[in-house]
Amino acid sequence: MIIFGLLRESVSFALVSLATNKLRTFLSLLGITIGIFAIIIVFTIVDSLEQNLRKSVQSLGDDVVFVQKWPWTFGPDYPWWKYMNRPVPDYPELSQILEKCDGAQSAAFLVSARITIKYKSNSIERVNINCASHQYDRVKNFEIADGRYFTDIESASGRPVAVIGDVLAKALFPNQNPIGEMVKINGAKVMVIGVFKKEGESILGGSVDTEVLVPINYARSLVDIRNEDLDPQILVRAKPGISNDDLIDELTGLMRSVRKLKPRSDDNFALNQTSLISNQFDSLFGVVGIVGWVIGGFSILVGGFGIANIMFVSVKERTNIIGIQKSLGAKNYFILSQFLFEAIFLSLLGGTIGLFFVFLLTLVAGDSVGMEIVLSKSNVILGFTISILIGVVSGFVPAYGASQLDPVEAIRSN
Amino acid sequence: MQSTFKRPVLLSIVCILGFIWIVFSFPSVFSPSIKKMGDWYPALFGLIVASSFISYIGLWHMKRWGVQLFLITFFIKETILVVVQDVNFMGIFFSILFIVPMMVFYKRMDLNL
Repeated sequence: MIIFGLLRESVSFALVSLATNKLRTFLSLLGITIGIFAIIIVFTIVDSLEQNLRKSVQSLGDDVVFVQKWPWTFGPDYPWWKYMNRPVPDYPELSQILEKCDGAQSAAFLVSARITIKYKSNSIERVNINCASHQYDRVKNFEIADGRYFTDIESASGRPVAVIGDVLAKALFPNQNPIGEMVKINGAKVMVIGVFKKEGESILGGSVDTEVLVPINYARSLVDIRNEDLDPQILVRAKPGISNDDLIDELTGLMRSVRKLKPRSDDNFALNQTSLISNQFDSLFGVVGIVGWVIGGFSILVGGFGIANIMFVSVKERTNIIGIQKSLGAKNYFILSQFLFEAIFLSLLGGTIGLFFVFLLTLVAGDSVGMEIVLSKSNVILGFTISILIGVVSGFVPAYGASQLDPVEAIRSN
Repeated sequence: MQSTFKRPVLLSIVCILGFIWIVFSFPSVFSPSIKKMGDWYPALFGLIVASSFISYIGLWHMKRWGVQLFLITFFIKETILVVVQDVNFMGIFFSILFIVPMMVFYKRMDLNL
């Protein structure tokens, strides 16, 4: 109870002192506000970007290997001229993979193109169309909100059916159910049999919200599926318990035998996986995080010096009051806690304002950049921790100095 | 009130090295590497840095509570590092190197706050 009483008294002394010097209080907590704002906003942006990226990578499939012509990673010694003459993955190669690859759970052939889609007077140009073989739904992560996916017969016979994205459905069929309706894709009539569940903007692009999916056997009548510009690729998902590395090893051997490559010749295909993208982003986020940490660190350091300075001034101003308090029986720890709480309170107030500004910015920026930016619980904890820490570290020396004052000398000071 | 307990040179060196350690450790509290260890870890690490700083202030003024606080902080820090499986034997060695002179001069220190 004595401790609580002491705490209450110390806090009330501190509050009175802060309230009587409003301008000084404002200026000294400004440093901490800016520091906390700088560091927490950087961490918040980095965390949000990372979260969005992971979500996007997950939708691509983190256990999927992409057989393509070009590798995803680019280095300084990137021998692009070697890759130029490589053949693109071919549809017959898919059946070889499905037949012979033990580590593959499922695989699909995919080409992408830009088309114009029309329904009555509504028309949307440059829409991304994915033309995929039947197992695509087992390789790519997506959900169908309305309708269904292609049947085996529709895929095999190349029926003119399509699954469209949520954004397209709303744009082409306002206030109308699109299932069963006929749309025109590059002039050809195609029946809408499903609508993808809305998944939102993807940091890597290629959200299903604005895509059309048709069977590859139907797409042959629309586009040349061997055209390199359509980026033909084979997506292979690993069986549960099979690592991507094991799958890549098996696929390397298999593709080399399918393409009849000699033992000494280089691979003429690339096996890509989503970890290549996330690893590159991880290093980028690491750098951004460190830059934010350095900038925020210096701001906080300056803010800490500001608080320490103000506390020294505060002790100097109230020296005779300290003398009176001590002569009336106030213990050293009471004087110490009084000034220490003042410093912590000041710092905490600055930190809270900084966090509030970060919160406001996340609300505003979230809408304008089209990406969810969230001030996470861990960043709030970090913000408060740094504030308290700054208060303790910068306030302890002046507070301890005040507690050690001689009552007689303190009363006589001006 | 000026302290009448004169600080030995060895303890001054310990304190100065300690303050330098604080200067370098303080920014680590909010470094991305510390943050990755868990939501609670920056807070705990911050508490350790703050109490280490206070203990060095106590030592500088030749106060026994400085040594006591240093020892408590040391044991808490090492317990946490054992829990997160990040024990640094070099760190333990240097901490013990600091504790020895503190214990040697402990009896010459002031008992009061």
